[in-house]
Amino acid sequence: MTTALQYTLSGLAIGGIYALVALGFHIMWSAARAVNFAHGDTLMLGAVLAVLGVDAGLPLPLACLLAIAAGGVFGVVLERFAVRPFTGTNASIGWMLTTIAVGIMIEALATMQFGGFSRPLPSPGVAKPITIWGAGIYPQELLIPVVAVAAMIGFRLLQKRTLVGRAMQAVAHNRQAASLMGIDVNRIVMLSFGLAALFGAGAGVLVAPVIQVSATMGVLLGLKGFAVAIIGGITSAPGVVVAGLIFGVMEKFVEGYVSTAAREIVGFGSMIVVLLAFPQGLFGKREIFKV
Amino acid sequence: MNALFRLGFALLALTLVAVPLTAGNEYELRLFMLFLIYGIIAVGLNVLVGLTGLVSLGQAGLFALGAYTGGILATRFGFDILFASLGAAVVSGLFGVLLAYPTVRVRGVYLAVVTIAFGLIVENVAIEWQSLTGGTTGLSGIPGPNILGFPLTGYAFYGVLAVTLFAVTLLAHHLKWSAYGRAMLAVSQSETAARSLGVNVTAIRTLAFVVAAMTAGIAGSFYAFLNAYISPDIFTFSDSIRFLLMVILGGAASTFGPVIGAAVLTYLPELLQQFAEWQKFAYGALLLLVMFGLPRGILGTLSKLSGRLRPVARGIDPREGTPAAEFLRDGARGSAELVTDGLTVRFGGLTALSAASVRVGPGEIHALIGPNGAGKSTFVNTISGFYGPTEGSFSLDGIPLAGRKPHRIARLGLARTFQNTELFGEMSVLENVMVGVEQRRRYGLAGALLRTPGFRREEDACRRAAIGLLDLVGLAEYANEAARFLPFGHQRRLEIARALAARPRLLLLDEPAAGLTSGEIDDLELMIRKIAVLDVSILLIEHHVDLIMAVADTVTVLDYGQIIASASPSVVQADPRVIEAYFGSPLVQASVTEAA
Repeated sequence: MTTALQYTLSGLAIGGIYALVALGFHIMWSAARAVNFAHGDTLMLGAVLAVLGVDAGLPLPLACLLAIAAGGVFGVVLERFAVRPFTGTNASIGWMLTTIAVGIMIEALATMQFGGFSRPLPSPGVAKPITIWGAGIYPQELLIPVVAVAAMIGFRLLQKRTLVGRAMQAVAHNRQAASLMGIDVNRIVMLSFGLAALFGAGAGVLVAPVIQVSATMGVLLGLKGFAVAIIGGITSAPGVVVAGLIFGVMEKFVEGYVSTAAREIVGFGSMIVVLLAFPQGLFGKREIFKV
Repeated sequence: MNALFRLGFALLALTLVAVPLTAGNEYELRLFMLFLIYGIIAVGLNVLVGLTGLVSLGQAGLFALGAYTGGILATRFGFDILFASLGAAVVSGLFGVLLAYPTVRVRGVYLAVVTIAFGLIVENVAIEWQSLTGGTTGLSGIPGPNILGFPLTGYAFYGVLAVTLFAVTLLAHHLKWSAYGRAMLAVSQSETAARSLGVNVTAIRTLAFVVAAMTAGIAGSFYAFLNAYISPDIFTFSDSIRFLLMVILGGAASTFGPVIGAAVLTYLPELLQQFAEWQKFAYGALLLLVMFGLPRGILGTLSKLSGRLRPVARGIDPREGTPAAEFLRDGARGSAELVTDGLTVRFGGLTALSAASVRVGPGEIHALIGPNGAGKSTFVNTISGFYGPTEGSFSLDGIPLAGRKPHRIARLGLARTFQNTELFGEMSVLENVMVGVEQRRRYGLAGALLRTPGFRREEDACRRAAIGLLDLVGLAEYANEAARFLPFGHQRRLEIARALAARPRLLLLDEPAAGLTSGEIDDLELMIRKIAVLDVSILLIEHHVDLIMAVADTVTVLDYGQIIASASPSVVQADPRVIEAYFGSPLVQASVTEAA
C-alpha cells in the first residue's frame, strides 16, 4: 500500500512536468497548427540556466525567474525564424526539421557551457522529505502537479477573460477569419509560442531540483510531453493536463514493478494505441473532413 | 530511360567499381561500405518520404529490427548472409505493414510521432528482451559473412553491398516511373483526387511503407555482418533524423538524391571531427542551412537550374496520341445509368439531403441545380463515395454502390471533377492525366520493377491515351508544364481530361463553369457536347443557368435537401416552385412592395 502511494505521488510529480510540457504543445498547436519539436530543449534551457545562474552567484529566485524569461525569449525567436517560414506550406516536414535542428544546436551549446555531466539545482523544496502514510516525498514534488493544474486554469482564465486570450481562441478556430476581424495573427502566434516556452522553461526549473540537470535531459521529456498531448487530445487544455498526470503515475508503476525499458515501451505503446482508437485524443475535438 | 539517367547509373556503377580499387586502407574501405548501407536505407526511405509524402522519424527502429533479425539468425541458427538478410527484410517488411496502418487515420505530424514512438519502442525492447538480444551489452560474435557456405572476404562482401545499392537504386527508379510511382506522387499531392480516380490510397501507402521498411531491414542485416556487433545504442532517434536528412539533403523524390545525401552524411562527420566540441552544433546548423538554402535538396536544386538553362518543350504533338474517341469507346461498353433511391444524408441534426431519388439515364446530360446550401455538394460527395448515406441507396447500371469506397466507385465507372480544383500541382499536365489511366493497368509490381515488355507496351499506350485526352480538351500544347502553373480555366479543363482518363461511363462535373469567363463557358459547352457523344453519361452540377439550358436533357432542382422538380429544361424553367426557391415567393415580394 505504501509502495503504491509512493508510486502515485512520485508519478504525479513527473506527470505534472509532462502536463506542463504538453500544455505548451497545446498552446502552440492551437495557434499555428505547428509546434516546436525541440520543446524539450526549452525545458532543458530553463533548468540549465537556473543552475548556471546560481553558479554565478545569483539568488535562487532571481536565477529561476531569469531562466524562465530566457526560455520565453527563446520560444519567441524560434517561432519567428524556424517555424513561421514553414507554416504556410501544407507539409509539416519543414518546421519539424528546422525546430529539431535548432534543438540540436541548443543542446550542443548547453553541453559546452554546462559540461557533459549532470547535477541538481539546489532548492529548499528538497531540503527535507515529508512522510505521508509511510511514503516519503519532497515538498518540491508535491508542488509540481499543483503548478501544472494552476497553469492550466490560469491559461483558461486568460482565454476567457482577456482580449488577447479571446484572440488566441479565434486564431485557433479560424486563422483567416481572425485576421479579417483585425486580429494580428502573427503576433498572436508569437505570443502563444512565447507563453508555451514560459511553461516549458518553468517545468524545467521546477523539475531541476528533483532530477539531475543535464544538457540532454530535454529530448525524452519533450517527446513524452508530445505523446501526452496526443493522448489527451492536443486541442484540449484540461485533457492534456489530466493525461499528463495519469501518464506520469502509469510510468512510475511500470518502472517500479518491471523496469525502465518497459516504462518506455508501455508509455509510447499506449500512445499509439490511443491514437488508433481515438485519432483526436481522449478529450480532443474531432476535426471534420470536407471534400 | 532518358540519357541523363543512363549517365547517372553509369557514373554510379563506375564509382562503385573505382572506389575499392583506390581505397588506401582498410578503414577507408570500411567507411565506404558504411555509406553503401546508409545509401540503401535512404533510397528506400525516399519512396516513402519523397514520393508518397509521409514522414518517418522511426527508420532507425526498422534498421535495428533488420540488424537484430539478421544477427540472431546468423548467430543462433547459422544462416548465411543471403537468408539472414531475407529474414530481416521479411520481419522489417511486416512491421512496415503495421506502421502503415495508422496512416488510414492519421498523417503529418501525428504520423511522425507514431514513427518516433515506434523507434523508441524497438530500442527499448532490444534492451529489455535480454535472452534474445543480449540487452544493453548487445549481440556480439556475429560470424563473418558467407553465402551458401562460401565465406565472403573483404572485397566479395563489398561486392554484395555495392550490387545491392545499385539494384535498389535502379528498382526504385523503375518504381517511380511507373503507375505505382505516379499513384504515390498523386496521393501525396491530393489524396481526394487520387481516390476519385480509382487509386487505392491505403494500398499505395502500405506499399511505400513496406519498401522503406524492407530496405532498412536489409541494410540493418548488412550492418550487423559488417560490424560483427550490435547494441541498442546504435539505433537512436538521432539516427532516424539523419536518415531523413539524407533524403532531404540529396533531393526528395529524385533518383540519385538519396545516394548523394547518404554519401555526404557518411563523410561529413569525419570532416566535422576537426571542430571537436562544435561538431554537433555544426551538424544542427547544417540541417538548418539545408532547410532554408536547399529545401529541394542538392539534386532538386540542380534540376531546377538545368530546367531554366535548357527548358524542355512545353507541349507534345497531339498526333502522338490515341484519339480520345478511340480510347473511350475501346471495348464493349456503353454509357451508364445512375439511379438513387431515397438518398438521405444527415450531419448531426442537419439533414443535408432528404430522400433524394434521381435517375440519370444512359447517354443523358443531366443537370442538378439548386440555391446555395441546397445539398448539391452533399449529393455529389455521397454518390462518389466520400460521404456515406444515412439512408437510401444508389446504383450504377444496377450495381449497388452505397458503402463502397471512392476508388471502388471510380473503378466501376463513375469519375468526377471538383468544385475547388484538386490537381496534382507538382506533376506535369500529362502525368496528371496518366494517373487517371492507372486503373486500366494490367501489369503488376514485378512488371514495373523489371520493366517487362508488357509493362513498356502498356506505359506507351497509357501515354498515348493521355495525349489524346489532352488534345480533346485543347491542352496538348501545355503537356509538360507543371499543373499548378496553368491558368485557372485550363486547370478546370485538365480536371475533365483527368476524370475521362479513368474511362468513366458516367462523368460527374462539379460546378465546372465556376470562375470561368463567358468565352471559356462557351468552350465548356462545346466540350460537354463532345464528351456526351463518346458514350459517357454526364451529371452536371452548375449555377450557370444559360449553360444548363443550352446543354441539359433533364434538369433536377434541389432545395433544402429535397428534390422539387425534375423535367426538361423548359418545363423546369416555368415551374412555380423552382421560381420560388430562387426568387422567393410572390406573396413576400408583394408585401415588401406594399411596405415600401
